Amino acid sequence: MSPPQAAARLAMPLAPSDPDVRDPELLPRQKAVIRNVDFFYDSFRALKNISLPLHDKRVTAFIGPSGCGKSTLLRILNRIYELYPGQRATGEVLVDGENILAPGRDLNLLRAKIGMVFQKPTPFPMSIYDNIAFGIRLYERLTRSELDDRIEAALRRAALWDEVKDKLRQSGLGLSGGQQQRLCIARAVAVEPEILLLDEPASALDPLSTQRIEELIAELKDDYCIAIVTHNMQQAARSSDYTAFMYLGELIEFDETERIFTHPKQKQTEDYITGRFG
Amino acid sequence: MSIYTQRRVANGLVMGLSVAATAFGLLWLVLVLWTLLENGFAAITPALFSQMTPPPGSAGGLLNAIFGSVVMTLIATLVGTPTGILAGTFLAEYSRGSRFGEVVRLINDILLSAPSIIVGLFVYEVMVVRMGHFSAWAGSMALAIIVIPVVVRTTEDMLNLVPNALREAAAALGSPKWKVIVMVSYRAAIQGMVTGVMLAVARIAGETAPLLFTALNNQFWSTNLNAPMANLPVVIFQFAMSPYADWQVLAWGGALLITLTVLCLNIGARALASWSAFKQ
Amino acid sequence: MAVDTAVGQRLGAQRGRAGSIGDVVFRALTFLFALLVLLILGGVIVALVEGAVPALRAFGFSFVVTEVWNPVTEKFGALAPIYGTLVTSAIAMLVGIPVAFGVAVFITEICPIWLKRPLATMIELLAAIPSIIYGIWGLFVFAPFVQQSIQPNLIASLGQIPGFGALFAGPPLGIGVLTAGFILAIMVLPFISSIMRDVFETVPAILKESAYGLGATRSEVIRQIVLPYTRIGVVGGIMLGLGRALGETMAVTFVIGNAHRISLSILQPGTTISASLANEFTEAVGDLYLSSLIALGLILFVITFVVLAIAKLLLLRLQQRAGG
Repeated sequence: MSPPQAAARLAMPLAPSDPDVRDPELLPRQKAVIRNVDFFYDSFRALKNISLPLHDKRVTAFIGPSGCGKSTLLRILNRIYELYPGQRATGEVLVDGENILAPGRDLNLLRAKIGMVFQKPTPFPMSIYDNIAFGIRLYERLTRSELDDRIEAALRRAALWDEVKDKLRQSGLGLSGGQQQRLCIARAVAVEPEILLLDEPASALDPLSTQRIEELIAELKDDYCIAIVTHNMQQAARSSDYTAFMYLGELIEFDETERIFTHPKQKQTEDYITGRFG
Repeated sequence: MSIYTQRRVANGLVMGLSVAATAFGLLWLVLVLWTLLENGFAAITPALFSQMTPPPGSAGGLLNAIFGSVVMTLIATLVGTPTGILAGTFLAEYSRGSRFGEVVRLINDILLSAPSIIVGLFVYEVMVVRMGHFSAWAGSMALAIIVIPVVVRTTEDMLNLVPNALREAAAALGSPKWKVIVMVSYRAAIQGMVTGVMLAVARIAGETAPLLFTALNNQFWSTNLNAPMANLPVVIFQFAMSPYADWQVLAWGGALLITLTVLCLNIGARALASWSAFKQ
Repeated sequence: MAVDTAVGQRLGAQRGRAGSIGDVVFRALTFLFALLVLLILGGVIVALVEGAVPALRAFGFSFVVTEVWNPVTEKFGALAPIYGTLVTSAIAMLVGIPVAFGVAVFITEICPIWLKRPLATMIELLAAIPSIIYGIWGLFVFAPFVQQSIQPNLIASLGQIPGFGALFAGPPLGIGVLTAGFILAIMVLPFISSIMRDVFETVPAILKESAYGLGATRSEVIRQIVLPYTRIGVVGGIMLGLGRALGETMAVTFVIGNAHRISLSILQPGTTISASLANEFTEAVGDLYLSSLIALGLILFVITFVVLAIAKLLLLRLQQRAGG
């Protein structure tokens, strides 16, 4: 079976008679399914026929050398590419059964359900409190105390509460790099999304902050479907449940992380993992 | 002389001339400011701020002119700033590569450098002739037309400096575009935008030509915006060109006032700009 | 649980719709005001043309080449103001460009780092001083100085050269074309200098370092590396300064003497388009007089428009080359 076929097979809902089925109760549910997706920067085809599933309450990692299209793929999931003319995607992305790439879909509502954290921390030029409240205020009208509670909960989730609880009114720009990134994570989870997209969230941070972010992700996965792009293979191996290896815009291999890193089926995958290129 | 010596002499000459040129430029700055202070200082009395412009031969002040200038500058700023900000926002946020945006940008630059007397002529034709009389409204509109291109330029430049990542982060939370602009982009660019407004105000504070045939002048105290209104630049023009000594003294006083205002605004704007750059 | 309905239940699709309406309204608003900028310029052109038509119809093309300016007989010609505008601007460029260049070289190449900012600010303050201040200073301080100290010397020295000396002939009046041109030079040099500075700073350090590494002197690097590299930008800056000088009104009005005649000697009074407008517009009686003045304004607008358009195109080309 070719890699795209294998991934596509994994993207299909499993039949009860399927020999791969163990206990249906324990099987992770598919939150999103990417099906035959192509992506174009003007006429350049950056992604070729990608199909893979994203499982709920699991972490799926996209790995591959620079330029393989992993960030591009991630950015399709919340259609953030629509901000730029000349960029378009074809194919289907089903979230809970509904195609989010369909025209006429309200992008703002979509993005309220799919959170994103970027490579470089991007705190808004406002207080820490307002940073987190920004997303909440977009769609909910809460009383002051309800808002306070939500913000505290979000900051606790991001393991930032103890460090900033006394300075919520201070500017978010005054925090350190690692703190700013956790602020961005808090901001993303504050609106209670269903899917979290993380685009190399620790790559701009020092090793200590990186470690804290990784611990955070391990905790967050209990509640969210997480897709993470990373160029750090150890991170992918440690933190993720599923891994997709991409190269030059194609999905080379998709499998459970353990299997990819111990028994990769494709030579290219093996070469990349063992550091022979990339 | 060896080639090397020749080269060294040439180098010394060029460097020396550059120093001389800089000293030359600074010399005039010092001279102008010095004579301004010298001649204008005598006019800075309490009377300057409490009495109206006098007929020739008697004592007086510049109160009506100061008032008129302040009022017209204020109106021009209130009209020109939102206009400029919105137009600049269009250029920065909505016109990515569009032909229309390029044309607007070009036209704006032309307006920016157009002689201000032409602006005065335009407002004369459009407002004074239509209304049948000179007015402070016409003067304010002429000044507003000078403010608009400055604010458009600085707003567009400042908004373009806001990193795209910030916009994406706001959009990723589900924010509609206008909220991204108003609540995130504007906030990020606010200091630069304020600097732009300050520079625009500094520019119109000293403008004479656009007021010459729009607001004209008024010997007396007037708060009627629908009639000619006294203003500092035109009063200075009239008084300085006259043969009367006390009028000339008042002209210097007014000149000093304008220059101090303009310099404070300019230096203030620069200080604000470098302070915000320092903070980041 | 579908994405949209879950959102709709908990978040209120109304907010979503309001957001879209907000987007439409805001975009329309910004578009409208951008359009307004276009309309203002269009209005300026239309108003000028409309006002100038009577005069142009009465005099035709000869308007541009006639020197006569007689409100009594209602014969008007634009030659003297046009001539004055061009000559004063030419003097301003002749004096201003070298000085601006010297200042730019000093600030970018020679000046110690701690002095750069304050020095640049001071030179830019020259540009911030309003035109009328230069006018009043010119009239009361500079013109008398020129009359007493500079012009007699010029007449005695350069004025004695046969042929060329005619440029410096005549009684020393203080006010006149030369004085106006010189003040314009001071006003315009900060603009040119600032653009030159910006453009000089774009030269990659590596380029200059390779020249220094070969043992070139500072002036050689400037003349042979920096200037050729920034040629287009420098010319663009000069044209911007020229546009500025052409349109200057108040400073010139005070010291040009306001005489509607063309003299060969630059020590004599003359007039420029903007000075004529400033002096005569409010006193003008008669539709033809007024229309002739507006026609002058139209001519000035066309001249500055062309100069600015060229400047813009040049600077745009430099930007593209540098890395747009």
